[in-house]
Amino acid sequence: MISSTDRYFIERKYHNPEKEFDAFKRMAYHGTGYIEESGLDDEQILDGLAQLEKETEHLPHPIARAMAIKYVLENERIYINEHDYFVGLYSLGRLANKTTFEKWAKDSQSLRDADTLECSRDFNNSGAVMIWTDYDHVVPDWKSLMELGFSGIRERSREYRKLHEKNGTMNEEKSAFFEGIEIEYSAIIDLIDRMYNIAKEQTFDKSSKIATCLKNLRDGKPTDFYEALQLIYIYFIVSESVDSYQVRSLGNGLDGTLLPFYENDIASGKYTKDDIRDFLSYFLMQWSAIGNYWGQPFYMGGTNLDGSTKYNELSYEILDVYDILEIYNPKIQLKINTNTPDFILNKAFDMVRRKNASFVFCCEPAMIKAVMGYGATYEEALNMDIRGCYETGVRANEVSSTSGYVNAAKAVELVFYNGFDNISKKQIGIKTGEISEIKTFEDFYFAFLKQWEYLIQQSMKITNDAERFLAFVNPSSMYSATIETSLKNGRDGYGGGVKFNNNAMLNCGFASAVDSLMAVKEFVFDKKEISLTEMAEVLKNNWKGYEILQIKAKKSPHKYGNNDTITDTYASAMASYFANKVNNVPNNKGGVYKAIFHSARAFVIQGERTGALPDGRNAGEELSKNASAAPGMDKNGVTALIESATKLVPSDYHESFCLDVMLHPSAIDGENGFNVFKGILMTYLKKDGQSIQFNVFNTDTLRDAQENPEKYQNLQVRVCGWNTLWNNMSKKEQDAYILRSENIQ
Amino acid sequence: MKALISDIKRFAVHDGDGIRTTVFFKGCPLKCVWCHNPESISFKPQIAFYENKCVGCGECKKENFNAENCLGEARVLYGKEMTIEELLPLLLEDKDFYETSGGGVTLSGGECLCQADFCAELLKRLKEQGIHTAVDTCGFVSKENIDKVIPYTDIFLYDVKAIGSDVHIKCTGQPNEIILENLKYIDSLGKNIEIRIPFVPEYNSDQIEKIAKFLKPLKNIKAVKVLPYHNYAGSKYTALGMENTLPQILPTEEEIKKAEETLAQY
Repeated sequence: MISSTDRYFIERKYHNPEKEFDAFKRMAYHGTGYIEESGLDDEQILDGLAQLEKETEHLPHPIARAMAIKYVLENERIYINEHDYFVGLYSLGRLANKTTFEKWAKDSQSLRDADTLECSRDFNNSGAVMIWTDYDHVVPDWKSLMELGFSGIRERSREYRKLHEKNGTMNEEKSAFFEGIEIEYSAIIDLIDRMYNIAKEQTFDKSSKIATCLKNLRDGKPTDFYEALQLIYIYFIVSESVDSYQVRSLGNGLDGTLLPFYENDIASGKYTKDDIRDFLSYFLMQWSAIGNYWGQPFYMGGTNLDGSTKYNELSYEILDVYDILEIYNPKIQLKINTNTPDFILNKAFDMVRRKNASFVFCCEPAMIKAVMGYGATYEEALNMDIRGCYETGVRANEVSSTSGYVNAAKAVELVFYNGFDNISKKQIGIKTGEISEIKTFEDFYFAFLKQWEYLIQQSMKITNDAERFLAFVNPSSMYSATIETSLKNGRDGYGGGVKFNNNAMLNCGFASAVDSLMAVKEFVFDKKEISLTEMAEVLKNNWKGYEILQIKAKKSPHKYGNNDTITDTYASAMASYFANKVNNVPNNKGGVYKAIFHSARAFVIQGERTGALPDGRNAGEELSKNASAAPGMDKNGVTALIESATKLVPSDYHESFCLDVMLHPSAIDGENGFNVFKGILMTYLKKDGQSIQFNVFNTDTLRDAQENPEKYQNLQVRVCGWNTLWNNMSKKEQDAYILRSENIQ
Repeated sequence: MKALISDIKRFAVHDGDGIRTTVFFKGCPLKCVWCHNPESISFKPQIAFYENKCVGCGECKKENFNAENCLGEARVLYGKEMTIEELLPLLLEDKDFYETSGGGVTLSGGECLCQADFCAELLKRLKEQGIHTAVDTCGFVSKENIDKVIPYTDIFLYDVKAIGSDVHIKCTGQPNEIILENLKYIDSLGKNIEIRIPFVPEYNSDQIEKIAKFLKPLKNIKAVKVLPYHNYAGSKYTALGMENTLPQILPTEEEIKKAEETLAQY
């Protein structure tokens, strides 16, 4: 395992931990330990890029972009250090973007459709839909990287280039695509050579190992476990920090990608298990040290075609090293099935109950159905990547970019004011009629569906317009070169070059919308305690003067997440409605839309821009997130919550579906804790749930942590597909967790 | 047939193995000074009042007030007459969770075996559905009542509080000869038993070794658990207008560990 001295140095590799750190930035820049004479500083590189821009601005974007990246890689300061097995780059601020991506993104704005552009601004300002262009969110084909190495990837691209020439299928655009790959991969290989030349001159303990590794990675594929890790790291750091493509998983299953190397090295005696654990500890520490807010994902496990599990001894070693390091980043997704061995489940359960919030459990049966729902074969679905938080993706053949975060609660709000939004003071929705004219619940419900549908359809228009420029703004040479389909097509992966060129449309604020509709039904139409027009006024005044009615609304049993039949029937119908409006609708890249039950931070951001709701929620408070109940409303416990959530048909959500569960520490203590955990997870799996994540909390601890943050430096919270430190959250966000935890005391 | 039920708890994880639903029957022949379910001692329905939760809705001033209408959930009805047909669907709701976790349904209380005919029928119906059943009992009931549930009970969660009958009287108001006899009887029938020892330092810390010796010859004890006394139930006594008999002294970690070690020696 890593020594405490080396750990101390790696913790300073990406930023100075003593300085103020903004976790929301993608990553910190400029750590310590870099060799000054090995390259330039940021200012000098930016100056050089400005010079280069003059020479390249007439060139096709893939070539101009690759040349800018090449310039950065040639001039980066390098980190080769006695405290680390892994190399490093000094300037992690995506410098090449200044003269390429940022300029072209601006250019694309002027080419965009003016109406949809305005609509997207209105949607964002009103909180109706969060929408922006998602340029970089992808998993490379690690298998081909491991089998070919950087030089082999370049060679394969050359062969396809020749083939296109030979077959007469070459054109200017394809030629630029292949030339971009040629330049960028040559630059990566040259960078590794530069690193090798520095490493071989060093005399510290690790230096000869590092030098041999770099030499091998320069010339071909990795030959052992350590070299495979180094390749993953180099790809990651170049892709995220220079090429500006987020690497949304380390490995196509980290354990699966590394297993052949592990088995070889153990069998040949090259490395012992202790050596392997040693390398893993340095490897995992890199992302702990980067410490970005959203967390760096990797997944493990899965099922083979013959039904056996993919989990192995190495999977356990990875978990155990992670556990011993006591880190919370990278974040870990575990593929779960009925074949998942107990030694994995119990290890993960034990870490979760010791407050490690890094895990999400991804249930294969429903996720396989979800992926097959947009046209993948069983084999493709079985071997899917888990991307980002817990999204699905066909391995080495899918680009799925995020489209709109559609706020269902806002659609309810818009019905009250005939499509007018009180937050942005603009007409945001369609005109579904004055509220005084709506006489029945049927009419109200139908008006809601129309508002919701409008937000979905407009979001698609916006996305389809914006995404004409994906490859124009951010050509993905580095990623596309790993994807054989892209080479066959001679097209950028972000320009429709892969098999599945998809988009994800997010269902946000869902439970808040369900509960609000149920409250309108109960209090306006069934019990007639208030008229619709009065309700519109009450909501405008944030329940002022109607506090008793507000308590009644909050207390109503008709809340999603409690296994209440009528509520859950509406919820399930609404979830289907959204999925049906989204799934398999063609986008403009030759792919389709995928529905997703995920909120990222929309439950906070859109919550701030959503007024009071009929379910008793005050203006500005958090909305429900993912497929979970509205905050504090799942009063019947975890079993009822799972019953409700799985009635939504999770596999209808082709991109992902996630449920958040909060447990009291005493519910999962002792031996029986494993049975309880397994019971929750396996019931969710059998009822075709997709992903599930846990927070283990008790209210007193959270209250104490809010008052005495210094005592709880390591307290983690599972947010929404990632985990963060309790102390990184605002008081308002913390309050929402305290509210939720009160139900499980 | 009806039973008086004080509460039903889903996702019960400390009343036997796995995830369970526990039915709390109302009424108990013992009056343990440390009782943490004081709402289940009386055999009659009671309405408790949790003053700090009152939102002043005024519902309770109305005629024919029903505790369910209390907005702040300040007034809570303990004791609802329920039929088997009403109970069963509630107990089957979490069936999938029982199966995946090795859990089931636990009948508890109060003392569920004071309503043994109902319990027997309920357990029989649960067994027909293939559900694992546990009966949580203080044992202070007739042998006849135990016989009624024996065929449909997978495991008894059996309280042993003291061996000395005088100590037992001090703790619970009743002697324990019947309790120990019943325990030996259930054991002789080959039924699985989990022994549970409420550990209350002021009252029974000297009883642990005696209990261990008593249990030694029994053949079907699957587990012996020490349940450390806690005093969370104080507000319930106040809400029910009952005299708070809760002991003041809580067991320390060390005492609990020592008790567990003592039991492990036998």
